Amino acid sequence: MRINGVTIADTFAEAFTMRVARIVITGRTAKWAREAAIKLTGFATSVIGCKCEAGIERELPPADTPDGRPGISVLFFTMDKQSLPEQLIVRLGQTVLTCPTTACFDGLPDVPDRLTVGKALRVFGDGFQASKVIGGKRYWRLPVMEGEFLIEETFGMLKGVGGGNFLILAEDADAALAAAEAAVDAMTSLPGVILPFPGGVVRSGSKVGSKRYKNMVATTNDPFDPTLRAITESEVPKGVNSVLEIVLDGTDAPSIAAAMRAGIPAACRPGITTITAANFGGKLGPHHFHLRKILA
Amino acid sequence: MSEIVTLSLAERPAQVLIADCIAADRFAGLDAKAIAELPVIHGGRPETLGTFFKVRGGRSGVVRVEGELTRVAAIGAGMAGGELTIDGSVGRDLGLAMSGGRIDVRGHAGDNVGGARPGAARGMTGGEIIVRGNVGDEAGARMRRGMIAMTGNGGRGTGVGMIAGSVVVLGKTGPGAGRFLKRGSIVALGPIDRPATFRYACTYRPPHVGLLLRYLRSRAGVAVADRYVAGRYERYSGDLAEVGKGEILQWVGE
Repeated sequence: MRINGVTIADTFAEAFTMRVARIVITGRTAKWAREAAIKLTGFATSVIGCKCEAGIERELPPADTPDGRPGISVLFFTMDKQSLPEQLIVRLGQTVLTCPTTACFDGLPDVPDRLTVGKALRVFGDGFQASKVIGGKRYWRLPVMEGEFLIEETFGMLKGVGGGNFLILAEDADAALAAAEAAVDAMTSLPGVILPFPGGVVRSGSKVGSKRYKNMVATTNDPFDPTLRAITESEVPKGVNSVLEIVLDGTDAPSIAAAMRAGIPAACRPGITTITAANFGGKLGPHHFHLRKILA
Repeated sequence: MSEIVTLSLAERPAQVLIADCIAADRFAGLDAKAIAELPVIHGGRPETLGTFFKVRGGRSGVVRVEGELTRVAAIGAGMAGGELTIDGSVGRDLGLAMSGGRIDVRGHAGDNVGGARPGAARGMTGGEIIVRGNVGDEAGARMRRGMIAMTGNGGRGTGVGMIAGSVVVLGKTGPGAGRFLKRGSIVALGPIDRPATFRYACTYRPPHVGLLLRYLRSRAGVAVADRYVAGRYERYSGDLAEVGKGEILQWVGE
């Protein structure tokens, strides 16, 4: 298969099951909602080192938020049930609670599996906190120096999908970056998907484990490192001098497939030779995104 | 089973009619005949609901009551769920000690809306009461949880002895509001006569008030202007003669 002269490899991206929560942050202005969201999703690129993956899903107009103010929707992923509330409590407490004018709402209200995140954060109020039940949902009001911070008592948790990906193989680094940016632009704000890495792009894709260091859980993906083509079992084709990866996490597999369907054609630009994907032979996760099937 | 149970007042009671059997959740398991046979008290004498109301439908938690009901007391008493709509004005003790569900009055309501039974420590413990008109004295007396909203004026002693919950008054709130209030919120969009045992804290935009008013607007169709939803409120803590963790929030402007 070829798109705009770019070869689509006959392979699949392998993804795994994660736990996901959707956080809706509102603020007096879109700027302050975004400030909180940026801090909340900072240092949340990969569970390998950050224990969670997070990103901005989309901006929400006032009509789409619970309190009628500008908002940001954030998706938050961890590998297991236990660590999701732990990460949310720590991060919301240090980033959204501290941010002027913000309030924090659950973005998965119909999900039965509930995390008592707001209930845990209420103790910052030191006994002066108060709760309100509005429309069957309990909210906590925490007195803060600015006024009050409002947070929903519980947040929904779903089984999501992490690790959707595709690799952009380019003749040079500039072409790779331009293609990656185009792909990110095409995928940004699609519902149910985030791109957790900086600008949505990864330059340091990893393989599982290490050939040399026993304590390393992930090391450089040497088969796709152009500089190592001469000394490893390289998968970098002739004429390729730079590779960038797009990683996608989603609330479900169809959301990731839809984003890949939008992003891959956008990346098929001059200077790109091949689009491929990372997998581990089907041993890592149950979700397989076959590039040619998605694009067919 | 019908989609809705409708009670139409067929004979206006000559004296106070205590109809505490009218509750949406109670009707969910009864047919029209059984509903008509429910006991009421008229002028101190036992009667049946069917003596005064024409009953249509049965086995539904959605109930509509029609007629001039100012002499009918205790509608929705102890209600735990369902939806009860009242087309007309009602008497006292509406939603007395209710614990769930929603009562929507398209008219005025008498005293002790959502209040407590005589001698009881707690009034309503859950649910919502919306009155599209004025309400008598002591609405929300000793309420523990839930929400009462009135588009008109509140009488004397609104929220007296509240333990928690919210009372929203879109009109004028009478004197003595919030006396002996432990926790809970009285949100006054109009003028309010505060007791001396409430102390001014600050003027701010309480985020939960915006949420609450938006909920009233979207869920119940109550016309609440944007200036109230996003407005500034003076916060008065009280009742300082009690634990003082309650509040009167008075709207002061945009």
